Amino acid sequence: MLKKILALLALALVLMLIAAQCAGPAPTPEKVIETVVVEKEKEVVVTQEVEVVVTKEVEVIKEVEVPVGGELVHLVARCKAAPPHEEGRCNNLVAAVGAANAALAEKGDDRRIELEIIQDNADWGDYKTEFELASDAGEAPDIICSGHEHIGDWAPAGYIIDVTDMLGDYPEFDDVIDSLWNATEWNGRRWGVPQDAEARPLYFNKDKLRELGWSDEEIESLPDRIAKGEFTWEDMLDTAEEAVKAGVVAEGNGWWHRPKNGPDFLYYYYAAGGEIQGEGDALIFDKEAALKVYKMLYSATQERGILSPTRLDGDWTGWHTGWTNGDVLFLFGGSWNWAEWFSNYVADRGGEDYLWEHFGFAAIPAMKEGTGKPITLTHPLVYMISSQSEAPDLAMLLISKATTPQLNTDYAIASGHLGILKSQADYAPYTSNKFLSQVLPLLQFTTFLPNSPYWSAWSEAYYLGIQSVESGSLTPEDALDVVVDQLQNELGDNVIIR
Amino acid sequence: MAQTTVTSEALVDREPPSRWAQFRATLGAWGFMAPAGVLVLVFFFIPVIILFVVSMTDLSSSNFSEPWTFIGLENYARLFRDKFFPKILTNTFRYVILTLSFFNVGLALVLALLTTHIERRAGFFFRMMWLLPRITPSVVYILMWRRIAHQPPFGIINQLLSPFGVEPRYWLFERPWLFVILVNGFVGASFGMILFSSAIEAIPRDYITAAKVDGASTLQIIRDITIPMIRWPLLFVTTYQTLSLLTSFEYILLLTEGGPGLFTTEVWALTAYKRALKTYFGHNQWGYGAAWGFILVFIGIVLAFVYLRVFRFNELVQEPKIDVL
Repeated sequence: MLKKILALLALALVLMLIAAQCAGPAPTPEKVIETVVVEKEKEVVVTQEVEVVVTKEVEVIKEVEVPVGGELVHLVARCKAAPPHEEGRCNNLVAAVGAANAALAEKGDDRRIELEIIQDNADWGDYKTEFELASDAGEAPDIICSGHEHIGDWAPAGYIIDVTDMLGDYPEFDDVIDSLWNATEWNGRRWGVPQDAEARPLYFNKDKLRELGWSDEEIESLPDRIAKGEFTWEDMLDTAEEAVKAGVVAEGNGWWHRPKNGPDFLYYYYAAGGEIQGEGDALIFDKEAALKVYKMLYSATQERGILSPTRLDGDWTGWHTGWTNGDVLFLFGGSWNWAEWFSNYVADRGGEDYLWEHFGFAAIPAMKEGTGKPITLTHPLVYMISSQSEAPDLAMLLISKATTPQLNTDYAIASGHLGILKSQADYAPYTSNKFLSQVLPLLQFTTFLPNSPYWSAWSEAYYLGIQSVESGSLTPEDALDVVVDQLQNELGDNVIIR
Repeated sequence: MAQTTVTSEALVDREPPSRWAQFRATLGAWGFMAPAGVLVLVFFFIPVIILFVVSMTDLSSSNFSEPWTFIGLENYARLFRDKFFPKILTNTFRYVILTLSFFNVGLALVLALLTTHIERRAGFFFRMMWLLPRITPSVVYILMWRRIAHQPPFGIINQLLSPFGVEPRYWLFERPWLFVILVNGFVGASFGMILFSSAIEAIPRDYITAAKVDGASTLQIIRDITIPMIRWPLLFVTTYQTLSLLTSFEYILLLTEGGPGLFTTEVWALTAYKRALKTYFGHNQWGYGAAWGFILVFIGIVLAFVYLRVFRFNELVQEPKIDVL
């Protein structure tokens, strides 16, 4: 009997080994082996096989010349980008490889950079988790391009390196707009390099305003009146209500905000007079400001029919389609939406010209009962370097060569993002772009997210209140109580309620 | 005819087998059970222990790379202090009970009875069709449902009902529970349908024929013969699907994300997932999420024992009495 069992176990073991062999290794990226033939200019140059790794959306290095005795350093960059307009995030790094290698050659450094990029449009949460798990597994990419607020988690966790002392070695970084560096700071140090910036404007539908009886002059002067604080958030809601009552737009289509949680809702709180950054990493929750926001949203959804109670349905496609079809009067969006719309939604109706004809944009109007100032929010993406990178200096060199007016302007024009360099103010391709030049002034009203490890929990709790009042589940006062309770339960001493 | 008689004295006098002998006698059984035992150990017991240990830490995105800090039962205290904990628990039981009774067992039984009472090939074809949602990728399946119940002017329901003067609505958000249960139920019913169908077809035809000869109606045959004879599959499906529904959340995540509004369709497993792995800004609280997950494991184990006792599963596996020689 025992022999039979042993025989059976041995057989099972053999079968498992065979199965394991058949299963093969985990899926690996497609690899293309290219032989690069190098013209013999100097004796030190040799022909070498270069491995070009192709993963997801890819641009690849075509030729890398490595000096004799030199080293080919393989770097990996990870970017989140909506195709096709945002792909410059990683593609600019690819485009910078040549300049980076040339700089190395000039310095007499025998190392050369070979770059692999991984680029897709994952959800922010999944994207962030992926980097954290990869870091813990020792497989983090050398460069990650992500939201600046992630510095608040990744810097204290040790996933990314402090780049403050490296920045001075690269003159390209002197050109970065000073205020954008604030977004890369945590604990008084800098942890990344700005990659892009944007504004989050109020878009308005010119046709619907005309139907409502507005003259062309009134429509064209709206951005200016908003910038001066003459047309307020409250005026916007009144106009939207009027449009709903007059049947110019359907109920719930007077004003739309984004369909799920995100950075935008923080500027509502700022506009209402709220502050968020406390001492160190601690965050502030200003009950008075939050209550103003909740009351405004409750009234817009439950009493005035301006905003649909189901607006937070998470459906981005319906959101873009509804707006570009002209069903909505006002919309709070992002500057990048402009590029998204003319590339993906109205390309067959005239593209960007169609947008200019039917839609306009301005800063987010001032909340009269809040700060009384127009507002917007910038959420810069930053390149960060993993603490696991074996060549952080090369990663930084590559980032510096991607931080040029030409590459950044190409990206900005394609993606509807704002430039990050001072020199772009005089750079003809940038200044001649109508959209970018008109959006740029909105930055005077801009605000940022905090770089704190507690931001995510703060945001989730605050959003809970927004969901409660818009769906009509709770009154604004009850929603505030729930949010305060949730914040205290989630963050304890790390949130200051006032 | 030779006959072996074993007297009671002989039984009493016999030496009890040694422990080694007993072990040797059962070695074959242990051998056969070993692969399954190893699987249960590796994929259930060890993960549960890890889950419990993680639930005692404050492990999150911002301290993932540091040594674990143990905080005792703080995560559990925080969980029970959460104002929405009772609502999420109620939602979970509502989801399990309604989906189970109306679809995973109820509709499954109706489908099995219908498809075994029509022409055999037609029944087979119908069951095959009903399996389609199960083999459809979850995302595609939910996209279909979202389009069916989409907001005006879209939505297949709106398109179908508008000729009858029904005002277009955002059905998914006005009746979220209906769709959550329908979406899960249509897929869940196929499991029971297959098991019940095979059990019904395994009932000897003699019983049915005899009942018909005695003048029993179809309803009486179902009530007095079919259902009593498939009670074990019924109990198995009820138990299995209860535990399965308790831990399932992917369709709800894709359909409503637990909304609309305030935790309207949020179930326990979805909360555990969101806490541990899914926030908009990606601050994952693995320790806290593990505490939510461990409570679910605990509820599942308790329910499994309750089912085993109430439904007397040991009767199902006891040795048949008639084969004793």
